[in-house]
Amino acid sequence: MTGTMNSQRMAVGGLDLEVLRGGSGKVVLLLHGFQTISPKAPFLSELAKHCSYFAPSLPGFGSSKRPQDFDTIYDLVRHTLDLIDALPGDKVTLVGLSFGGWLAAEAAVLRPAKLDRLILVDPLGIRISDRETRDILDIFNVHPDVVRDKSFHNPRRFAPDFDSMEDAELVTFARNRDSLCLYSWNPLLYNPQLRGWLRRISVPTLVLWGSSDGIVSPDYGHAYAKQIPKARFGLIEYAGHHPEIEQPAEFVTRVAGFMSGPEGNLLLTGEQAP
Amino acid sequence: MRAFYGCEVTYPFVPQDVLDSVDSVRASLPNKYCDPKIAADLYHETLDEYLVADDVGLNVMATEHHAGINSLIGSNATFVGIIARQTRKARILSLGTLISLRKDPVRIAEEYAMIDVVSRGRLEIGLVKSGGSEMASNNGNPMQNEDRMWEGIDLISKALTHREGPFSWEGKHFTHRHVNIWPGPYQQPMPRLWAATGDPRSTAECGRRGIINTLVLRGPEGTRKAWESYKQARREAGLPPATRDMFAYAAMVYVGDTDEEGMRIGSKILWFLNTSLKTAPQMSRFLPGTAPPDAAPQIYRNKPRPAEIGSTVATKSASQNAAALMSITAEQAVAQGILFAGNPDTVYRQIINFQRAAGDFGHLNIIGRSGFLTHKEAVRGIKMFAREVLPRLEESKVHGGLE
Repeated sequence: MTGTMNSQRMAVGGLDLEVLRGGSGKVVLLLHGFQTISPKAPFLSELAKHCSYFAPSLPGFGSSKRPQDFDTIYDLVRHTLDLIDALPGDKVTLVGLSFGGWLAAEAAVLRPAKLDRLILVDPLGIRISDRETRDILDIFNVHPDVVRDKSFHNPRRFAPDFDSMEDAELVTFARNRDSLCLYSWNPLLYNPQLRGWLRRISVPTLVLWGSSDGIVSPDYGHAYAKQIPKARFGLIEYAGHHPEIEQPAEFVTRVAGFMSGPEGNLLLTGEQAP
Repeated sequence: MRAFYGCEVTYPFVPQDVLDSVDSVRASLPNKYCDPKIAADLYHETLDEYLVADDVGLNVMATEHHAGINSLIGSNATFVGIIARQTRKARILSLGTLISLRKDPVRIAEEYAMIDVVSRGRLEIGLVKSGGSEMASNNGNPMQNEDRMWEGIDLISKALTHREGPFSWEGKHFTHRHVNIWPGPYQQPMPRLWAATGDPRSTAECGRRGIINTLVLRGPEGTRKAWESYKQARREAGLPPATRDMFAYAAMVYVGDTDEEGMRIGSKILWFLNTSLKTAPQMSRFLPGTAPPDAAPQIYRNKPRPAEIGSTVATKSASQNAAALMSITAEQAVAQGILFAGNPDTVYRQIINFQRAAGDFGHLNIIGRSGFLTHKEAVRGIKMFAREVLPRLEESKVHGGLE
């Protein structure tokens, strides 16, 4: 272990991070998306029944500080490797949501020794279409209400309601958005080089997608999974960009099933040849 | 006091129902609504206004904005380059290049060195960090915007002053392995720098660097605060006290024969605020980096909470300021030091009163034409200001603004 941790904070690579943790058993590193994960999110308590999860707020997000020159995806990917090293045990399952899925894919390309399984949930990070067709909604160039509507199958029920959020929640929301913008404004939420390197991901991989995702479509998800040798693709119905929020039980069932399945079975059900 | 006449070459000829139906008249309005033939007339008229200003003893300035009805000057160097050859005496202020949005500051240095040489040393260089819809138009990351501005200024300054062959630059935001511009600037060591900015942090940095700080439509209170920060930064750095020539104020100005005429025509300039500021929320209040995260409750909530109503939150965002400006009336604009308009006595008195309230300044930036104010009216306003107001401003000595 290169870091130390307690229930609220975690020191990794010289950085002090806010972290949510729970459960016991197999170690899961959970990387958040555009927004940090709410400690009240129902999927966390479900997930805790199956594993020991660690969900840090990445530098610049939540209450985790961002060092002066830590401001690129390159930094976040190396930081993800630091996180994997810092977690207890000799195996880590990496789960990346949305933006965190991009980081997880980048990290997995680098084949960290402890990485056991990879789960990408509506990940970003690659480009599929031609140069005049945007794959990923330009979340900074549309009204936040559009982002809310496109993020959920049922936005009325699940989208954040700015009017009812507490001051501290809104401040965190804005800080997360600032940091996301800093890291990913250009190219917008993808690395032009990543797609060609996804072939290096060598661990069993599950790519999950909300069937109503309006941020980035399930077709993009299929194309993403095709680039990864041992990947299988799964849709979650009645969910948008955040199946972990809209379908927490189904989400955790899929994640736990994938984690506990023997590798041979995973390969049998995988669609892609290496 | 020196005065600079400027016209932003606005384009007011888009049908009102179109303007009403879009969320932004900047950045995203299709250019099918801009007739290049009309644009040509507007460019020519404005260039002619600069020639009139040159003839009557005013200096000139041009300001860059992108992709909207608020300005057709998307490339300030292009416009200023024409002025450099066509005028004869006027100082030429480029106010300016949106430096934090340009990929290569060395190219900016080349453009300005050329313009300074063409004008035989009449250029003053204004650099602007920009924001709002300009970020979308120029693909500029709104985060670290100010850092990029200062590094860009450093690199431009070195490129303009370095005389001994190539140097290399490996900065945080810009790299260039081989900088060696030809020619260097006409003025030695380099043209005077300006920055249009008003927040305390960047005005303090202007102070430490001795950059002329112009406040645009900020009103006396905001202007005084900004300049205090400038002066204080110089004191703290052990630099000589600020002088009036380090400060400038940009206002809408129109001089008529009578107060009625001055106000009637001058109030047309308010089109710039009333009509051309309309900007999509994602390009203004919700744009990352525009307001500190602490301001999020005021920015994101549609229904303010009781405690927030009437509160004077220090983090009032630029977009909230913009919202207030959009609904301003001519009388309010005069009262707030945004519009100086009336007969010559009135305009002179408005400027002197503003100076007493905000602090002494050495340069007045005149926003002299906008919207439906005609070329003919603009020319008349230029001549009236030069003949009836400027001589009195040049003679006046206002104290109280400086240490």
